[in-house]
Amino acid sequence: MATLYKTAKSEFMDVDDLIEEKEKLTNIKHRVLMVASRGSTYRHRHLLNDLEALLPHSKKEAKIEAKKDMELLNELAEIHNCNNVFYFETRKHTDLYMWISRAPSGPSVKFQVQNLHTMDELKMTGNCLKGSRPILSFDANFDSEPHLQLLKEIFTQTFGVPKGARKSKPFFDHVFTFSVVDGRIWFRNFQIAEKDSTTGGDLAKDDKPTLIEIGPRFVLNPIRIFEGSFGGPTLYENPKFISPNVIRANILRQKAAKHAGRMNNATERENRSKENPLPVDPLKDVFE
Amino acid sequence: MSDSEHEHIYSDNDALLEDEETALEIAALESGSMQSEKVKEYINHKAALAALLEEISQKNLDWIQRCDIVSSAPIVVEKADNDLDRELSFYQQALEAAILGKQQVLKAGVPFERPNDYFAEMVKSDSHMARIRQKLLDQQKGIQNAEEAKKQRQLRKYGKKIQQEKIKEREDQKKAALEKISSIKKRLRSGDMGDADDFEIDIDSDGESGKKGKLGRDKAKGGRKLLPNKKRQNKNEKFGFGGKKRGMKNNTAESSADLSSFSAKRNKSSKFVAPSKRGKSQRPGKSKRQRAF
Repeated sequence: MATLYKTAKSEFMDVDDLIEEKEKLTNIKHRVLMVASRGSTYRHRHLLNDLEALLPHSKKEAKIEAKKDMELLNELAEIHNCNNVFYFETRKHTDLYMWISRAPSGPSVKFQVQNLHTMDELKMTGNCLKGSRPILSFDANFDSEPHLQLLKEIFTQTFGVPKGARKSKPFFDHVFTFSVVDGRIWFRNFQIAEKDSTTGGDLAKDDKPTLIEIGPRFVLNPIRIFEGSFGGPTLYENPKFISPNVIRANILRQKAAKHAGRMNNATERENRSKENPLPVDPLKDVFE
Repeated sequence: MSDSEHEHIYSDNDALLEDEETALEIAALESGSMQSEKVKEYINHKAALAALLEEISQKNLDWIQRCDIVSSAPIVVEKADNDLDRELSFYQQALEAAILGKQQVLKAGVPFERPNDYFAEMVKSDSHMARIRQKLLDQQKGIQNAEEAKKQRQLRKYGKKIQQEKIKEREDQKKAALEKISSIKKRLRSGDMGDADDFEIDIDSDGESGKKGKLGRDKAKGGRKLLPNKKRQNKNEKFGFGGKKRGMKNNTAESSADLSSFSAKRNKSSKFVAPSKRGKSQRPGKSKRQRAF
């Protein structure tokens, strides 16, 4: 700041203007804190590692237990000088929920992560530089609803690697696609191959580049959007979201219903036979 | 006071009617609560969301800072379960973004591709890529192997047919040869001199000089094949002369089923002792025998 003042004084410029200009440039210093909750499985951990490899402006933190006290995450973000937080919350060692939050003031979004495939398990041939910047591709559906518009803005600020980020490289060789299908957000990661796959030479100018998928793959099912960071009033609630607990319970109930139905049939049969006893045979004792 | 009294009187007068009313009210309440359970209200504050978006938006930033591209057409996938359709539309969306993005990046005066001599750490390590390559190779190999196996199976099927035909042909040849030989033998046995001459030539041409001499001698003794005497014939029949000897004395199914020599009467008689259980005739010991003399 001192140097700023000096230059301003020396050139007799408006100090506030200069600071504002400087801020405009540095304002996009997004940093993402990635935290997993306790009880996450290896796949969830691998997804976290994949995202960390793909996003050079991210910082991984040790697993925490923050089921009740989510405010802790805001403090953590402040400590690590991050303004965005990815919090991967695992429930029952099976269900993965992903929180994306703008750290101190919000908003925050809670997603359920479905159809998760990490880079390691997908045998995909694409590859990209570690730390290169992605092009973020959004489906036009994102402009249809206000909550999707907000999600799009949040994704651009978290998944987009800011220009000149510390560990980033100034080239573009992959595309992140976000598409809305079935009310959920599908994530894919493609490498842009500008070389001819057969000859290895450069493509002609008019030729389209080919895309090779790199991975990971996952689907984000938005559950709620909160005004604050990890809390605050709810602004959006997904009517289509059904908790995996409910789904599992329903499956169990269906199974139980089968048994209950069988038992019911048995008692009914018993009652019926009691109500309609067989008529006594008049010739029963003839030969005795 | 008067109001309450009035109410009291009213209620007294129309107690029945009021009861009905309360029942109706309860029913209405219940139905209302049921409805609220059925149709849950989901929060969607569109205005607040829009305001929040305005607040956090960074739309005034240069494109090169944001790098976002919105597809020209919204993705429409009829069934999200249809993998091929879905992934294709994702690919198309990404391709469009890649092409447009390159233009924008170059417009902003930033390099898009890395130079050819720029090497750096990749997201997937070399060992990971090697694993992927190995997997692809294995897959290809598997496909090739499967195809080859299929081809082999078909060949084997065809080969079997050919083999069967060959075997049949060989059997036919053998049969024909045997028939020919037996007919020759018959004619030889019939002792027809005139014909025998012909055969002599035939057999000669077959080229067995040893046989020729013997046959010649036979012919000298009156043209008949010399047969051994009756006893020898019977012995030959019994002990075998010519033909295979192995396993001749073994029991066969017929021989063991043959009960012609078995006599039930003898078997039941007290005298009968099975040959294996028949005691040896007792020969006295040496000392006894010496004492006897």
